[in-house]
Amino acid sequence: MLNKRYIKPIILCLGYLLTISCEDFVDLEPPNYKMVTETVFENDETAMAAITGIYNELFSSASFSNGYISSVTILAGMSSDIFETTSATDTRYGPFQQNQISPRGTPDASANYELWSSAYNIIYMANSVLEGLSNSDQLSEETLTIAEGQARFIRAFTYFYLVNLYGDVPLVLTTDYSKNAVAPKDSAAKVHEQISTDLDLAISLLEEVEEYESLERTNINRFVVMALRARIYLYQQNWEKAEEWSSKVIDQASIYEILQDLDQVFLKNSREAIWQISPVPVGRRQTTYTREGYFFRGINSSRVVLSNDFVATISPEDKRLAHWVGYNSSREFYFPQKYKDGSSSGNITEYSMVLRLAEQYLIRAEARAMQGNLPGAISDLDKLRNRANLELIANTLPGISQEDLLEEIMEERTRELFSEWGHRWLDLKRLQKTAEVLKPIKPLWQDTDIFYPIPEEERAKNPNIEQNEGY
Amino acid sequence: MKNNLEYRGIIRLCLLYICFLVPPPYFAHFPHGHCFKDFTILEYQQPYQISGTVTDSYGPMPGVHVLIKGTNTGTFTDKEGEYFLLVSNKDILVFSYLGYHSRELPILGRTTLDVQMQSEVTELQEVEVNAGYYTVKERELTGSISRVTAKEIELQPIVSPLEALQGRMAGVEVVQQNGVPGSAPIVRIRGQNSLRREGNYPLYIIDGVPIISAPISGGSNMYSDGIDPLSTLNLSNIKSIEVLKDADATAIYGSRGANGVVLITTKKGNYRRKTEIEARWYSGLGQVSNKEDLLSTEQYLAIRKTALQNDGRQSDEFSDYDLLLWNQHRYTDWQEVLFGGTSQIMDFNVAASGGNGTTSFRLGGSYHNEGLVFPGDNSYHKVTAGLNLDHISENNKLHMNFSAKYGIDQSDVPAYDNSFVSTALTLPPNAPKLKNEDGSLHWEEWEYSQWDNPYAAILYRNSSDVGHNLIANLGLSYQLFHSMTFKTYMGYNNLTRDYKASFSKDQYSPEIREGQNHSSRKRHADRKSWIIEPQFLYRTKMGKGTLDGLIGATFQQNDNKNLIVTGEGFVSTALIGDLAAAQSVNIINNEIKRYKYNAVFARFGYNHDQRYFINLTGRRDGSSRFGPNKRFANFWAIGGAWIFSGENFVKQNLPFISFGKFRGSYGITGSDQIGDYGYMDAYEATAGPNGIYPTQLTNPNYSWEENKKLETTLELGFLNDRITLGSSWYRNRSSNQLVGYPLPSITGFSSVQANLPATVQNTGWEFELATMNIRSKNFRWQTFLNLTIPKNKLLSFPDIEQTSYANIYRIGHPLNIRLLYEYEGVDPETGLYRVNDVNEDGQYDFNDAIVVKKLGREYFGGLTNKFSYKGMELRFLWEFVKQSALERETSLPGYKAMQTAQFFQEWQYGQNNNVQTVSESFDAGTAYYNALFSERFFTDASFLRLRTLSLSYDLPAKPLKNIGLNGCSLFLQAQNLFTLTNYNSLNIENPGNATLPALKTLTLGVKINL
Repeated sequence: MLNKRYIKPIILCLGYLLTISCEDFVDLEPPNYKMVTETVFENDETAMAAITGIYNELFSSASFSNGYISSVTILAGMSSDIFETTSATDTRYGPFQQNQISPRGTPDASANYELWSSAYNIIYMANSVLEGLSNSDQLSEETLTIAEGQARFIRAFTYFYLVNLYGDVPLVLTTDYSKNAVAPKDSAAKVHEQISTDLDLAISLLEEVEEYESLERTNINRFVVMALRARIYLYQQNWEKAEEWSSKVIDQASIYEILQDLDQVFLKNSREAIWQISPVPVGRRQTTYTREGYFFRGINSSRVVLSNDFVATISPEDKRLAHWVGYNSSREFYFPQKYKDGSSSGNITEYSMVLRLAEQYLIRAEARAMQGNLPGAISDLDKLRNRANLELIANTLPGISQEDLLEEIMEERTRELFSEWGHRWLDLKRLQKTAEVLKPIKPLWQDTDIFYPIPEEERAKNPNIEQNEGY
Repeated sequence: MKNNLEYRGIIRLCLLYICFLVPPPYFAHFPHGHCFKDFTILEYQQPYQISGTVTDSYGPMPGVHVLIKGTNTGTFTDKEGEYFLLVSNKDILVFSYLGYHSRELPILGRTTLDVQMQSEVTELQEVEVNAGYYTVKERELTGSISRVTAKEIELQPIVSPLEALQGRMAGVEVVQQNGVPGSAPIVRIRGQNSLRREGNYPLYIIDGVPIISAPISGGSNMYSDGIDPLSTLNLSNIKSIEVLKDADATAIYGSRGANGVVLITTKKGNYRRKTEIEARWYSGLGQVSNKEDLLSTEQYLAIRKTALQNDGRQSDEFSDYDLLLWNQHRYTDWQEVLFGGTSQIMDFNVAASGGNGTTSFRLGGSYHNEGLVFPGDNSYHKVTAGLNLDHISENNKLHMNFSAKYGIDQSDVPAYDNSFVSTALTLPPNAPKLKNEDGSLHWEEWEYSQWDNPYAAILYRNSSDVGHNLIANLGLSYQLFHSMTFKTYMGYNNLTRDYKASFSKDQYSPEIREGQNHSSRKRHADRKSWIIEPQFLYRTKMGKGTLDGLIGATFQQNDNKNLIVTGEGFVSTALIGDLAAAQSVNIINNEIKRYKYNAVFARFGYNHDQRYFINLTGRRDGSSRFGPNKRFANFWAIGGAWIFSGENFVKQNLPFISFGKFRGSYGITGSDQIGDYGYMDAYEATAGPNGIYPTQLTNPNYSWEENKKLETTLELGFLNDRITLGSSWYRNRSSNQLVGYPLPSITGFSSVQANLPATVQNTGWEFELATMNIRSKNFRWQTFLNLTIPKNKLLSFPDIEQTSYANIYRIGHPLNIRLLYEYEGVDPETGLYRVNDVNEDGQYDFNDAIVVKKLGREYFGGLTNKFSYKGMELRFLWEFVKQSALERETSLPGYKAMQTAQFFQEWQYGQNNNVQTVSESFDAGTAYYNALFSERFFTDASFLRLRTLSLSYDLPAKPLKNIGLNGCSLFLQAQNLFTLTNYNSLNIENPGNATLPALKTLTLGVKINL
């Protein structure tokens, strides 16, 4: 039995032990590498850093936009008739080339998953900024408008590719994962509507933002938004609006011009660039060149190269053949060489191009042609033909029919925009020419192949997402 | 100040100590003061003859040595177990026999003295078991604690100490998935409790200092599972490893005890002994224990050519360089080339121990070196040193202990991007040579292939991973009053691992070398933790029993730093790694994480009449890993034991039962094994300038995982404990599951941290049987068998259909399942694998994956046999595992990659169309990948492995004495000598994956005592 005289000291000691076990001991400050979200949006500088963060991630981690092995540029390029694999049995790119992508298990399935999931990761970042801005009451009016405009653009830009590659996709506009986790697909029309809403809002929010923040062209100003808006009007066959918005961009002659030297086009801060993604690293990353430059070095073990049929459409006098197409003579294949640097260290010369002025001319040319303004269209087209050292339509075929001119514009788009952001694939789809063009060269083509499959692991985790037809 | 301390003074002192010092748990048996029995001093008398019979539970024992203590006079018992000896009244007789306890009996004037000898097997019951904060005799245990001692593990030529537990303990699953030395084994105590793989680490405690049990990653890809945080320990310095399994044993560790606790106790010196030196050396050879049967060049080419034919495709140089450009007659056994080397193993260990009446010490050091089986001259080294000091004051009240263990290890595995192992299993047999005639690397034929010349890594991708580990602890205990002791105890651990790799640009083929750079990578991982644990212990007699009490507090802080730096653009290879000479230096990771932990705990144990035991433990825990308001929780357990063999009715009615105990326990433990700061909604810096971004989804409301453990055990000893059997049944229900809840990526990320209402149940039976089969004067044969039959089940998961787990788990099934397609065989028309499209919607997706197959272990265990003859001892341990797995995935048959010989057999000679047509078409690919997700490749992967075989011989003591040695023994040790299995894959411990199997080693050594 406890001796009574011990009880008092024991109780004292126990009491002491209990008092020193307290909440304070296990309370921690945030670590050196984290910044609590609330505080991010209490300060103009960090709020803008969150926007810059998205631009950076478009290069660092976002597979769909970084120009590498799971990017729109490579995969959608494979699906069209621009690229082909060197090996007929390539397991990653082959299925994209033959439009036989599996939803699960195979190397091509993981490429498809990376494309899909990285796009939604960027959408999350945009949504997170939009929510942070609306919950904050300590930011200046200027930061609030600019950051919102830029975040809305990023979201619209990302949905543009999702809806074009996959068709109906879930439209996620919040960061609330408990709801989003079971979100079903929304109709493509609804997604398009949201894209338009976001872009229109962004244009008005960025009313004042005509300049880039620095010499670089890596942040969003109103012309970047307009350029994408023009493209989307073109896709929606709203020719009038497409012409109107592309004109607004083209008219900014003090900012943008068609560079005559083809080797200058893809350099950083190129005056033809409307929006570029910067590969400039800090700390944790080493690469100091674009991924397109690295991927298309034209080495012997290259797996993705330009298709010979495509290269054959570029006439020998076309300067783009000499300047933008490389040739590996030991293994006899062509490869894109718009970016020349794929291995330098510490000396960044090129940025990854997303939107450039040449596309705006092509948009306007097509919009004008569709509206019957053939001379206007020809003049826009000749702007690019002139630079490529091709005969001008105005000289050779001044009386060209509308149909033929549109055909010329399409061919010009292919030659000008090849190996950039899957333009050819999206063009074939919007013009409903996929079957006509691709069926002859892709024996396994089916009409349902115009959309990629929803990744199976996505469907395994979200029972409400339907698989696309044909998979 | 030498004045006697009054208790007030002591209390003040204690409070002071609480702040600075802490007590070691293994002092928990109280210094009692010596108990001297009074005995009458007997008068001197003339010698007379004494006689008697010596027996054991089997009857008379011949050959027992009977000696008058302190003299050389003695005799042996005869055939009938009788002895006769001339003695005097005050003499003491010592009875001894190999394998039995010696008995000393005073004669006290008797003329006959019959003696019953006790087998040493019974000794198990008397062993003091380390229960963490206290120790307890094995027979009095109320909880489930398994134990192995130095003798069973110290000779094994392995690096990670826990590997030594393989096959030795019931309920403890140790799997070394990767045979590269230092690689972290997977340790599961009573199954997987958490749905997260990384939420299942047991708590590791070395002499009271907790060691972060997560493996260290970030180094060479060869360590796919990370490096074992215990790799720097000296195996020979370990006295015992105790594994705490049930609630009663683990609840005192509260939130950290859910996955069990591994207590490692190191050796200490001896009081009242002259200085002893023990030196031990062994050396030997090792090789991978298994290789796969793969194709010959001829077979490979046959498959490839048929595939081309089947596809109606003309071969071209891009797709078929193996047919057109590579030599058609060349054959390389890539397994032999890439991991078929012989590892040379050497180990030297020396320790000195001794002391005087109040102070003892043990000082030791070791060196271990083993070569790697990869090509090149790389190896793994380990150097350790340890000191242990103990002091007890003259009055036996103050006890101080200091121990420090320091270990350095270095692993020079190549920094290959890939694993040599998976490369060796996929390279075609006619792949090009590695080197040219002049010794330079061969590139030409590799350049256009999808593979890199693997030898480039050996030459131009060097790395080393150096670990430094200091574990120090200081303990102090003071007996305040007769029944109360204050202990305070402080521990410190600092583990650093520095990985350095240099990549010469010569690793690239000449074609792309231009524009490449020499580069380097360094990782500095630094784990510091300190712990302070003040405690009061109370012990008193109470009625017919004893009451033990313990109350204490824990303060712990872990600081985890990680720094990864790369350098690019070194001028020459000689300067690689000198970051000052790099063109650009990049900080890849610079995280500093802190974890703080705080608890109060208590234990009350009562033992009535050495027959009834009850044990109550409790803990209140606070952890910094949870959001505010979620940080504190309570854990507790109750355990009881009844030694029914002590009851008269058992003694009378069941005399063949020499020991019988029934025990049971129930309690709640927890787990906070979740990343630090996970509850914080935060942004981090991007890899580009001036940007920040959200890196995860956050949920501030998650809290502890709970594990409710129930256990009952029956322990029986028969025939004077010649046979002992322990059988346990346990049921652990782990709920409030903390998971990285998988989310579809439309949420922005693939998971979020959350508590799930799901309950995972682990039940199981554990059996441990020890028998003394033969025991004669010189020969003994003992057998130890352990068997574990685990069952794991997802008990409940409300609304699983609505969650992202819907297609991963099934209620009522184990966690380790695969949902697979139904395999329908090879389609006779297409010749391709066909799986069942259950809902006939033309797609193969999760709706068709209706076959539930359980992977992993059905039962496992170990069988040890020990034979001793005079000084010779032979032990061998068979490990057996009954398990299922999927076959290792090979590439699409027909594609330019290696296949197994088994595939070739079935393809060429198979009667029943068991494999699909070789083809590289998309249809073939789809069919094959669907088959990979079907039951087609599900198979039995059970094995029986001779884990260890050891033979030792103690040289006779007498001649050794003459040359000044106290002892000398020779030993031979073999590990993983052979494995019986039907599973055709490289690494049976990691079925389905291409990792280095455990080495088969043979070592020979000598041990000398001075």
